[in-house]
Order: sequence, then structure tokens, then C-alpha cells
Amino acid sequence: MNSEQIEHEGIATAALKVDEPASLELRAVTKIFGGLKAVQGVDLVVKPREIVSIIGPNGAGKTTVFNLITGIYRPTTGDILLNGKSIVGHSPDKIVRGGITRTFQNIRLFNNMTVLENVLVGQHTQLKTGILGALFRPPRTLEEEEKARIRAIELLSFFGPELVARQEEYVMNLSYAERRRVEIARALAANPKIILLDEPTAGMNEAETLDAVKYILRLRDEIGLTILLIEHKLAVTMGISDRIAVLDYGQKIVEGLPEEVRRNERVIEAYLGKQGAESVDLSASEENN
Amino acid sequence: MVTYVNLLIVGLSLGAIYALIALGYTMVYGIIELINFAHGDIFMVGTFITIALMSALGITANHPPTAITWLLVGKLALVCVGAFLLCAVLGIVIERIAYRPLRNAPRLAPLISAIGVSLVLQDSAKLWMGNAQISFPNIPTPVITLGVFEIDTVDIFVVLAALVLMICLQILITRTRMGRAMRAVAQDREAASLMGINVNGIIAFTFFIGAGLAGAAGFIYALKFPNTQFTLGFNLGLVAFTCAVLGGIGDVVGAMVGGFIVGVIQSFIAAIPASVLPHSGNAWQYAIIFALLILILVFRPSGLFGQQTPDKV
Amino acid sequence: MSIAVRSSWLRPERKTRKLLVRWLVALLVPVLVFNFAWTGEGIVNNVFLGLFAPKLTNYNYTLSNSIQGGLFILVFYAVITALAGYLTAADSGRRSNIEIWVGILFAVVVPLLLVIITGDLLIGFSLFAIVWGLYVVGRRYVLKVLHYTPPIALEHVETLDEEGQQRLLDRARSAGFWFATIFALITLVGDIIFFALGSLPTILLALVVARTIIFPLAGYFLGWLGGKMALRHALTTSTQAPINGAGAANARRWWVRGRKEQLEHLSSARAQEEAKDLVPNDTPLQSKGAWPFYLVLLGGFILFYPVLDAMLFGSGTNGRLSGYANLGYYIILALGLNVVVGFAGLLDLGYVAFFVIGTYSWAMIGSGQFTHLTQIVVNPQIWSWMFWPMLIIAALIAAAWGILLGAPTLRLRGDYLAIVTLGFGEIIPPFFLNLDKYTNGTNGIVGIYPPATPCIQGVFCVQWSSFNATPFYYLILALIVLCVFVNVRLRDSRLGRAWVAIREDEIAASSSGINLVNTKLFAFAAGAFFSGIAGVYHAAKLGTVAPSDFNPTDSFVYLSMVVIGGLGSIPGVIVGGVVVYALNEFILARLDTIAASPGNILYVIEHTIPNFTFGNVRNLLFGIILISIMLFRPEGLIPSARRRRELHHKKEDDIVELDALDEPVGAETLEAEMQVE
Repeated sequence: MNSEQIEHEGIATAALKVDEPASLELRAVTKIFGGLKAVQGVDLVVKPREIVSIIGPNGAGKTTVFNLITGIYRPTTGDILLNGKSIVGHSPDKIVRGGITRTFQNIRLFNNMTVLENVLVGQHTQLKTGILGALFRPPRTLEEEEKARIRAIELLSFFGPELVARQEEYVMNLSYAERRRVEIARALAANPKIILLDEPTAGMNEAETLDAVKYILRLRDEIGLTILLIEHKLAVTMGISDRIAVLDYGQKIVEGLPEEVRRNERVIEAYLGKQGAESVDLSASEENN
Repeated sequence: MVTYVNLLIVGLSLGAIYALIALGYTMVYGIIELINFAHGDIFMVGTFITIALMSALGITANHPPTAITWLLVGKLALVCVGAFLLCAVLGIVIERIAYRPLRNAPRLAPLISAIGVSLVLQDSAKLWMGNAQISFPNIPTPVITLGVFEIDTVDIFVVLAALVLMICLQILITRTRMGRAMRAVAQDREAASLMGINVNGIIAFTFFIGAGLAGAAGFIYALKFPNTQFTLGFNLGLVAFTCAVLGGIGDVVGAMVGGFIVGVIQSFIAAIPASVLPHSGNAWQYAIIFALLILILVFRPSGLFGQQTPDKV
Repeated sequence: MSIAVRSSWLRPERKTRKLLVRWLVALLVPVLVFNFAWTGEGIVNNVFLGLFAPKLTNYNYTLSNSIQGGLFILVFYAVITALAGYLTAADSGRRSNIEIWVGILFAVVVPLLLVIITGDLLIGFSLFAIVWGLYVVGRRYVLKVLHYTPPIALEHVETLDEEGQQRLLDRARSAGFWFATIFALITLVGDIIFFALGSLPTILLALVVARTIIFPLAGYFLGWLGGKMALRHALTTSTQAPINGAGAANARRWWVRGRKEQLEHLSSARAQEEAKDLVPNDTPLQSKGAWPFYLVLLGGFILFYPVLDAMLFGSGTNGRLSGYANLGYYIILALGLNVVVGFAGLLDLGYVAFFVIGTYSWAMIGSGQFTHLTQIVVNPQIWSWMFWPMLIIAALIAAAWGILLGAPTLRLRGDYLAIVTLGFGEIIPPFFLNLDKYTNGTNGIVGIYPPATPCIQGVFCVQWSSFNATPFYYLILALIVLCVFVNVRLRDSRLGRAWVAIREDEIAASSSGINLVNTKLFAFAAGAFFSGIAGVYHAAKLGTVAPSDFNPTDSFVYLSMVVIGGLGSIPGVIVGGVVVYALNEFILARLDTIAASPGNILYVIEHTIPNFTFGNVRNLLFGIILISIMLFRPEGLIPSARRRRELHHKKEDDIVELDALDEPVGAETLEAEMQVE
């Protein structure tokens, strides 16, 4: 990071600060698809300004938990509370308004829109222009659009100058790591209090991963977000999480500090099977499948 | 009571024809997600081919056969096979010319091309046999009397034929190598081709079967109904597509059941007297069918038998 | 700052001279073809005579006609001259003259000649479409044989300092001046020859003299105007910040970069796309800067068309105008459907339902049917005024129906929605057919009032009747402009962005805070709104409405307009509407009439095949054309920038696939197959 960049990150984040950090709570959340119990009675508490990771083998139901929180699925039973108020049954957009945004495991950007437009869509809830505003473009609307544009650039500048320079670029021309950043910028655009990151370092090389870790930490430290994370790279999770919850077959098998989880027998077993657990130390494995 | 049973029978045999057309719709949709608007017109061409083949075999509307003989049954079987094959070939040709080049085009391009094909088929048929309605030769089928009910054997035949064809199709799809390949292509074209499946071949085969079924439906239609016209296909096709959607698109049994349901409903609607609806039920039948469809889809968004559309999150 | 050395605009330096020659030839040839091979010169003379010596002329031009024709001529020459200035200034000079001249020959001279030969705008243009297709194929072949690679736009991005800008302006000025001078000289020579032959009235010599003097002067200023246009698209050293306005504090941020630097940061494909519109340019004719000229020219032509028609094509103006006025509401329908299908990506196969509702709204209120229904007796003269509020009210009624029908169904996905909308087209029309009590059933409603306009002591009175198509032509023109305006504004708003987002990815859109149901409903309502406007106009223009005018399959025609034009592209759907309607109603429908006159190829075809009429194969031909357009241009005739890229990108899928391999293979496949409720 060069000095110029650091200097301006200050400007960017100041505008993004979250005033009241929020908490999230899952109470015995269960989701059944047909006969399959994808998530079973998961309890989870994420305190304000905390980074909590969910880990677990493939198919453990991690992404389903995210889909439940963000309203894409409705839990079969159980309750999800944002700052103590239930958000079960709310539509995804209402949940975004409530202050929870997310990214997706297999990046879901609007590929045929520019970087800037993507972030502008993210600000949808923040803008008020209605049909009449769109048609007649009163000064109020123009000003709002201008502000939205500036804010979008500020959001992009959170990740350094490269994305700002490429704001007019169509996202499909960006590199994988850049697209992840744009996705996070889009999620930030809705002024969230809590952000859910679904494998934010998947498909990244080491340098990019390191960079990602840095900005995830900055999301909390500088902006004040509460972060719920799904991550496969154990080195990443262990490094940045305040707490880790482990899912297996839809159930939470362990929850605790990174150190506790690392040593837990059941976790090792779930990850590597019984035999593997005996021979391999989990902390050494950094596989990312 | 007698009236209702008769309505039911009429409805079932109408439904059988819808079902056969719907099968083709649903197969094509299942494999390339294209609403093949030309499918109804292939059925129409099937009825025309039936007339042509029958007259080639000496069965004409002016000189209909007087009695059922084994010779007649043989001839009719020949006509049926002919209609199936000719329409199937037509289906392949259409796929090759109008749809295959658009495989990777924007989603609506093949739809417009399908509409174009439909127009081409209609006008070609018009050039072939003219604008007017054309009568089918009347086949003197015996009527079975069961107590107070009189059932024309042709109705039984129509329903049975549809069921048999559906079962064959179901076996083809679920039990054979070809069917497995079809399902694979439907799931993921690229992966299927990586597994060594000839994707173009499979899609062409699907069109072959689907269009062939429409041809067979054309033949069966000729047995049951009095006449045909070049405009017959499009609307019938739309209703058949509705049946496929009603049953859950992409699902063979669903298409069949949807066909029978719509057929029966339609025949009952037609019996609604003018005192209830202005101009009696006939004038409203499509409106009511589509209204029912909407109602059903509102409560079951993927049709009666369909699974929820997978949406990868 | 004064610039010390620069070449005079009267005697330009060498490079400018080369460019001047290129564009003088390129522009003068088409203009001269129009002037001398067609009626351009004739119109000028007649307008002039009509204005100054009405007794001399044997034409029946009214004052208003002469003024309108004169205005058009003024606009025409002014735009061409300014264009000469723009092109000369904007050209980088790296393409060969032959390439450009041949291109112009095919793009402008060929259609002109075809229209002159056929004497019909649409048939001329459709023949041109065929020739153009052949030309494109041929050009591709020739270029391949010659191993010619066109210069890459990006390589030539250059920043212009103040001196460079001045040079550009000078170049444009000299181009304007010389273009006008040479044109004036040519016409002068031509007129002297005509005068010598005795076919030029003496009074026109005054015009000739005036023209010879005024043209060069006007050319000087118009060229300067063209140069200004070119400068708007040039990279200047003092590049302004991309964002400014909202507070000076924000304007000077570290990310504010020059346009050139920004371009350098973009991927090469994207930068190329952007650089295509920068000055200097390799293909200035196609650049964004040239578009305003074309649009003004087209606008002038369309605006004065009712007058020009008679001058260009002779008798039969009313019939032609009526046809174009009908075409207009198809364009509105296409624009409306474009909102639903093109912007929001919702496949609507029952659009005709809303059109029917709009049509019957005015038919039932603006006719004797109103008295019949409500027992309120109204004076038709006064009641006709209701047309104007009804335009909006009917559109709102249609929009309300859009919401009513959309609300329960818009939760459906993809093609399930398509089939449900198809249902709308089947459900709504039977009501109008079968509820005789209100709609007069099969017979329909006759005697629908045309609109009414103020008539102050006979000064400005418009005759609204089905025998006078001109008012309807202007009415629909105004409505189209209105609809395009609304369309553009909606597209470029927060709502438009939300629509595109939904079209691209529903899940991501809703996770960005977009309310799917409301946003889709709004698209549906907006689409229906347009069809309501079209419906009211249709009823008023036709004067009668019957259920048999509407067919559920009409929706497919509307859809084909949108898809053929280019989904989501506003100029595209307008062109799509024109193409589909013109094909259907003007060209294919008239083949039999054309074939009736012996001596052309159609006559031969019709008479060698027994029992053959073109009427019988109309749909066959239409179908074949639909299929071929889709095969050759699956993205539509004028695809929107987004769609073009989408398709372009698909071809490069391999690159994307490589990228995708970085993803953890098979991660969370179980959940990936889970379904959304």
C-alpha cells in the first residue's frame, strides 16, 4: 500500500461509518427441503462488531444459513433476530433495508453493468427517486444521483485506486479478486450494519487472499460492521475470526474461539473422516476445496 | 347423468389429443427450454399428411369405407406410422434450420424464429391444400352400448393410444440409454458433451420424437374429428402448451394429466348454457381455461406435477 | 494565448487538403444525386417560386407548404455543410479513401437511387436492405482476400492542447467553406445550363445569385459549428473531473483523473469501444459526434414529411400518410413492450390484452356507446375534447389492469410467467367480444370521435377525419416523442437500473434491496400504460373498433418487433416496429398489386405458377424473413450496447471458463441444487 492510498482510505471510510453496530441471533433455526434437513436447530449469536465464521464440510448447510438470514429461504422452524427483533418472513429487500447485506459464494454481480452501476444498484434502498422524479428530473433527483455517484466512488476507493480507475469497466472484464471487491462494495452500498460474506477468498491466490483478509478486518475496524463469514481456507478463518461455528450435516457441532475449534476432535473428524483425523493436524491443512 | 358422462368422454378424447401434443412441447422445452410455437403447426401438418396418405390408400372423404375390415385397420396403421415418420422428419428439419444455429443466441431469438416457422408451416399447408376446411374420411367405428351409455369405440381407442404412447415415452426416457442421454443434455448441455454425448444428435432425436408424436396426434385427430384447416394448429398448440405447463413443464406424466384435465374442463365449459354466460360457454372456453391455469399456477407455481425450478444460490 | 504559426483556413495545409478532398467527394456525390437525379433542385425552385412568384408556378403549393419545404431545404443544406466541417475535423485520416467512398456509395447513394427507381420509400429501402446485406458480405470477403486489417481505434487516442483545438476548428471551418463554395459553383453551372436551355424561369436567377453569395459565407460558420461538435468529443488537456457539481469540496478528489488515463485503465475491448467516439477518429461517420447531424436531418425529414411526400412521390399522399400514422401506434406498442421484455426481462406474450383495454376505453366513452351505456346525452363536438384527458386516463386504466393481472402472477418464474401472460391475451378479448351489452359484441363500436383541437376563427383549424391523415400523422409523432422521452427517462433512472439488475440476476437484485414484486409490477404497469395510449389513438384514428381487430397472436407480432429491433434498445425497437409493420402491411400486402402490372419479376412469378397469389404466401414470406433476421442477427438489428456485449462475450466464453476454474470445484453442490421457495 502506498502512502497516497492510505491517506485517501481515510476519506472513504469516514463516510461509511456505522453508528450503531448491530447484533444477529439465530434461535433453533431449521430448514427442511422435501425430506432433507439442510439446517437443523442451529443457534448462533453474533455480537456487534464481531467477526464470526461458519465452517464445515461441503454440503454442511452453511450457505443455506446465509439464505435463511437474508430471507431467500424461510426457516421451517426457529427464529432469526436482528437487534432482538425477528426478521423471519421478511422479504430479502426488507432485510437489506434492515441492515443485513451479503455477498455470494459464486459471485453474483450484474455482469453487463459497469462497476459503478453495480454499486449504484447496491444503493437502491438509499435512494428515493420515484416515477415522477425519474420522468421530470427535478434538481432533487439530479442531486441525489450525483451524490449516489460520489458515494459509489467512495465505496470503491475503500479497496484502493484500481477499482475507481476502472469504474466505467464492465464487471465481466475484471479479475476474480476485483469482482469480489466490487461485490463487497455493492453490499456496503446499502449501508448495512451486518455483512454476510460467503467465501470471500474463494479462488484467490495467496497475495489476493492476504489482501482480502486485510480489507475484511478493515470492514470491522474502520467501518464498524458486524461480520458473518463462511470460509474454507482455515488459515483465514483462524486468523480473523473472533469465534467460529462448525456445521456438519446441517447441525452446529461446535462453537468457540478459533483455538478451541482447531483442537476439537469432532471438527477434525467432520473434516477429514475418522482415519484422517488420527494422522493429520488440522492446523496444518490449508486446503481450500 | 348421461349428458355428463358423454361430456366426460368427449373431454377425455379431446384431452388425449392435447396430451399427445403437450408431450412434444414438454420434451422440447425440457431439453432446450424453448417454447416451440411451431409444434402446434406440426400437428396441423400431421392432419394434412393423414388426409394425403389416406387418399393415397384409397380412403377419401367422398368414398369413405363402409365397414371396418382388417385391410382397413392395416391401412390406417400404415397411415399412422407414415404421419409419425413424416412429421418427425419435418421436426428434425425445422430444428436443423431454425433452432440449431440459435443455440447460443439470446433467449428470445429462437422464440421469434419459432413463430416464423409457425407462419411458414401454416402458409405452406395453405398452399398445399387451400384455405378451406377439409373433411376427413369418416371411419365407421362401432358404438358400444353399456346400459344407457353409448360409447364410440374411437373414443376408447384415442384415449388408449395416448396412454400407450405416453407409457412408451416414459419408458424411453427413464429406462433407455437414449433417455438417460436426453436427461443429461437437459440438465447440463456442456457437461453432457464432455461425457461424450452427441448433444446435437440428442436434441435432434428429441425433436424427432416430439414432432412424431404430433404427427400421430394428427392421425388420431382425423379419426375423431370431422375436419381440419391450416389454422387449426396454432391455437390448439397453445392450449396443449397450457396443458404441459399445468402438469409441470418438462414432466411427461404431468403433460398427460394436464391434457386430460384441460380436455375434460373444456368439454364441460362448452356445455355451459347461454343463461349463465353470454353466448354460452363455447365463446369463453379459452378464457376460462387460461383463467384456471393462472389460478393453479398462483397456488402451485411449477404446475401440478412439476418440481420447483432449481435456482442456484 | 495567441498562436504564432498556423495555416490559413482558406488555404489549408497538406493533410487538411487531403481530408477536404475526401469528404467533399463523399458528401457532394449523394447531395448531387439527390439534387439532379431526383427532385432536390426541383423542390428548391418550386419552393422559391411558390414564395415569390406564385403566379409563375404551375404547381399548387400553398404558402404553408412552401414555407415548410423551404425550412426542410434549409435544414438539409445546413446539416450537410456542418457535417462536412465535423467529418473533416474529426477524421484521423488513417483509412483509405476508397474504403470510405465505397461505404458511402452503398450506404447513401444506393438507397437514394433505389427509392428514385421504385418511387416508393419503403420498397426502395427494403431492396436496399438486401443490397446492403450483399455488400457487407462482399466487403468482408474482399477485406479477407486483401488481408486488410483496419486501424485500431485506441492506438490513435491523442490529447489536444489549445493549439491542437484551434487547428481542428480551422480545419472544420475551411471544410465548411470549401464544401459550400464548390457546391454553390456546381449548382451555378447547372442553373446556367438550365437557363440557357430555357427551362429555368428568369426570376430564379435571383435565387442563383443569392445562393452563390450566401453559401460560402454560411459554410464558413456552419463548418465552425461542426468543428465545435468535434471538439466536444476530443480529449483536451484540461480534462474536467468526471464528477463535479455537488459541492466544490468533492470535486477535487484524488481519483479525479484525465479521460485518457481512465481509458488506459479500462480493458482493451472496453477502451476500444470508448475510443471509437473520440476525435480524431478512424471512422468519423459512425462516431457519436456525427449522430446529432443525422438525427437533425432525420428529424427534419420526418417533421416535414407530409409536405415533402407530395413533392417527392407525387399523388397518393393521404393514403401513404395514413399508413405511416398507423405504423406509429405499433411503434408505441413496441416501446411499451420493450419496457417489460427489454428492460425488466419479463417475457410478456399477452400484450394485446392491454392494447384492447386502451382501445375500448376510448371507444366506449368517445362514441355514441357512451350515451347508450350511461343515458347521458353529450354533444359529440364537445365530447371529442375528452380525447386528451382520456389519453392519460385510458393509459392509467390499462396500467391498473397490468397491476391487477400482474400482482398474482409476477411471482412466477421465467416461462411460467410467459404462459400466464399468454393467458391474458386469451382472457381479455373475449370479454369485449361477448359482453354485447356494453361493447356491442361482434359488430364492434362505430362512429368513434376523433380528437378535437382549438379552432380560433378559422385561423388554425385542424380537420380531424379519416380522410385527412396529416393531423393523425403529427399526433402520433408527438405521442411517439412523448413515449420515447418517458422510455429514456425510465431507463436512465434508479428504476431502470433496478430493472436491468432484475433481468441480470433476480437473487442478487433482491439481495441488493430491490423489491422484486413491486419493481416487476411497475415494469408491467409502465408497459401497459404505453399500450393504453396506443389504444386510444388507434380507436380515434380508425373510428371503428371490433373485437375481430384483435387477435391473441398479435402479441407475437409486437414481441417480434421488440426482438428484431433489439431488446432494450430504444432506437432498436423503433426500427423493429417500422420493419415488422412495413414488411407486413406495406410490402407483403402489396405484392399482388405490384405483380399485377406486367413487366416486373413478380408478374412473371405469379403467372408461371398456377393458382399462385402473393396474398397466399404473405405469411410464408414473413415467416422466412423473421427466421432469417434471427439467424443473421440474433441480437436484433440495433442491439443495445449491453446486449451487444453480452453476445460478444459469449463467443469468448473459453476465457471466462478458464477463470471459473479458479473456483473451488464442486463446492457446496448440495446447496447449489437446493431450490428457492
